[in-house]
Amino acid sequence: MIYFDHSSTTPIHSEVSKRMYEINQDHFANPSSVYESGRKAKSLIEHARFQIAEAVGAKSSQIYFCSGGTEANNQVLWSLINQKNKHIIISAIEHPAISKVLERLKVFGVESTLVPVDKQGVINTSILLDSIRDDTGLISIMLANNEIGSLQPIRKIIKQINKPNVPFHTDAVQSIGKMSVDVYELGIDYMSLSAHKFYGPKGVGALFVKNRDKFSSFIVGGNQENGLRGGTENIAGIVGMGLAAELAVKNQEKCIAKLNLLEKHFLSNIRQSFPLAKHNAKNNLPGLLSISFPGYKSDILMAKLDRLNFAVSNGSACNAGIIKPSKVLKAIGLEDEINLSTLRISFGKDNTIEEVDQFIKTLNDILN
Amino acid sequence: MSGGVDSAIAASILVEQGYNVEAIFMKNWDEDDKEFCTAVEDYKDALQVCDKLNIPLRSIDLIEEYWEKVFKIFLDECKIGRTPNPDILCNKEIKFKAFLDYAKAFGADQIATGHYSMISNQNGSFQLKRGQDENKDQSYFLCRLNQYQLSKSIFPIGDLDKNFVREKAEKLGFMNHNKKDSTGICFIGERNFKNFLKKFFSIQPGEIIKNNGQVIGEHQGLMYYTYGQRQGLGIGGGYSDYEGPWYVSDKIIEENKLVVVQGKNNSELYHTHLTASNMNWIAGYPPEKNKNITAKIRYRSKDALCKINYRSNDILVEFETPQFAVAPGQSIVFYDQDICLGGGFIENRGNKNIL
Repeated sequence: MIYFDHSSTTPIHSEVSKRMYEINQDHFANPSSVYESGRKAKSLIEHARFQIAEAVGAKSSQIYFCSGGTEANNQVLWSLINQKNKHIIISAIEHPAISKVLERLKVFGVESTLVPVDKQGVINTSILLDSIRDDTGLISIMLANNEIGSLQPIRKIIKQINKPNVPFHTDAVQSIGKMSVDVYELGIDYMSLSAHKFYGPKGVGALFVKNRDKFSSFIVGGNQENGLRGGTENIAGIVGMGLAAELAVKNQEKCIAKLNLLEKHFLSNIRQSFPLAKHNAKNNLPGLLSISFPGYKSDILMAKLDRLNFAVSNGSACNAGIIKPSKVLKAIGLEDEINLSTLRISFGKDNTIEEVDQFIKTLNDILN
Repeated sequence: MSGGVDSAIAASILVEQGYNVEAIFMKNWDEDDKEFCTAVEDYKDALQVCDKLNIPLRSIDLIEEYWEKVFKIFLDECKIGRTPNPDILCNKEIKFKAFLDYAKAFGADQIATGHYSMISNQNGSFQLKRGQDENKDQSYFLCRLNQYQLSKSIFPIGDLDKNFVREKAEKLGFMNHNKKDSTGICFIGERNFKNFLKKFFSIQPGEIIKNNGQVIGEHQGLMYYTYGQRQGLGIGGGYSDYEGPWYVSDKIIEENKLVVVQGKNNSELYHTHLTASNMNWIAGYPPEKNKNITAKIRYRSKDALCKINYRSNDILVEFETPQFAVAPGQSIVFYDQDICLGGGFIENRGNKNIL
């Protein structure tokens, strides 16, 4: 299989996988236990916390492990229901782990404002600033979009907010290892991370919380994670995430250079062989391309590529595998027909130019 | 691949025969959240089967096509008091048209379904035949197919008994081997027909009358009742002299009146003649005269001997014995022994030449 769907998930880095196997074999003890093996497990988790903190410029005490980006997002959004200020501002292209949560929060009095994006998928900053109300309790804007890769000017936005103390959350699950992420430079209060997007394991994520006062647990239970997340820790997952984060940052420059090379090679070739192809958001996260193929249905393209063992994506399928027009593509102005002609191609650090060549050759056969 | 046992076995047989098989899960109906679960469950069942067979499963969305080409017509027919059969339209317009087109775009040479019917190729002319399992035969629903559609189709389980199909599914480890047969109209499922229709029509009450004009009750809209219906009329038996339960014998559309009679043997419920429109002859032309032709006026009715008189695309059918509850809008489907000849839509009924 030639895998070009890294924004969906990534293969686990072999070192991470090896480390997780060791942990599962040797460190099964409950980190809450006070005897030696328990203490060891606990210190492994604390080391992973340090690795994550290092990777994003935070302090260890500001990193909380959880089950993934979805839970991290939920935890931040659900905290609104305990606050006086229940208004939230989000972009029109947030992941469902943000937008769908808000549907649920309506009954708790949480009101939301959706800020539109331009044709390149970048949020309209002036509308965002105008949307801030006295009762705005949270702004949540993703760092890089998962479908089109558009980057949001978080730092610029936060600098222009003149109402102090409106907490700012960013969903950064797509970004780690593909751009530098520094929580202080960005100026954010909360950030969601997910291990499996940067060659770590599935089922583990982390939340950056700048100041944990006023913040309470979402999954309620034992006193794990300093009382912010109940449940016995997924030690192997957490250790795997820590190592994956360290490796991702260590190899970041190399990875970005590789992704840019693959991307450039793909785009210049596809422009030649299929000039009608449209690259949807031009200032994109390295290696994450949204390409529309006018006149072709994406599910048929997908089926033909699948048959030849290429893995790419076309929007998100419902549980019965039906592709609906993407809300993100709608938000950048794509009509349903072109919306349903769009593929997401997301390269990874181990992809090669030869693979891209094979892909282009196959696409040519299918398209012409 | 619906997630049911029939299409699962159809696929497994083709795999055994060495075909290069890919499965497609078709979604035709946009259910609300509660019912959405059935599609998800069905999809999971389909996925388990495909996993066992090691074939790919893909999904296609034909919701809009189904709404435009089948459901709208279903509603229009209901609105004027007729008894439509959406499954027949679904086969003609969706499974053997939109789906076939899609499958071709996917690169398929032919499509296969889990219908209990057979296709035989007589020197390039395709015949549709009844399924081997008398109780499951689905040729009635395929009466509007044409030569091209049959030429592109395979019915791998048409010569099998349902029991055999279930046993085979169990042997192959398919989790759907004992899944309940789907009944009724697909988009209504197990739901109450009347409650379902109420979402689309306002209540239009009118009188329930005896055939002498006497008013004996109130109905809630003619679309909610069908010819020959006994249950749910809201009028008890024994109104006058006891002559058995009440049956719907007629609908007077212009006056919004529902006519009922007592007793299943009441002659008002039986007709010897009917006209049918929009005939589809599967061979491409009508059958020769003087053949012993039988017809079914609904899926579960018995074959009845009849004669056909042709008037361009419309026909007059004369039965040897009177037929119970002939329902305008339903399909009449003709057979020459085991060969399904085609069908048309019932327009009028009577007891003499009414064309």
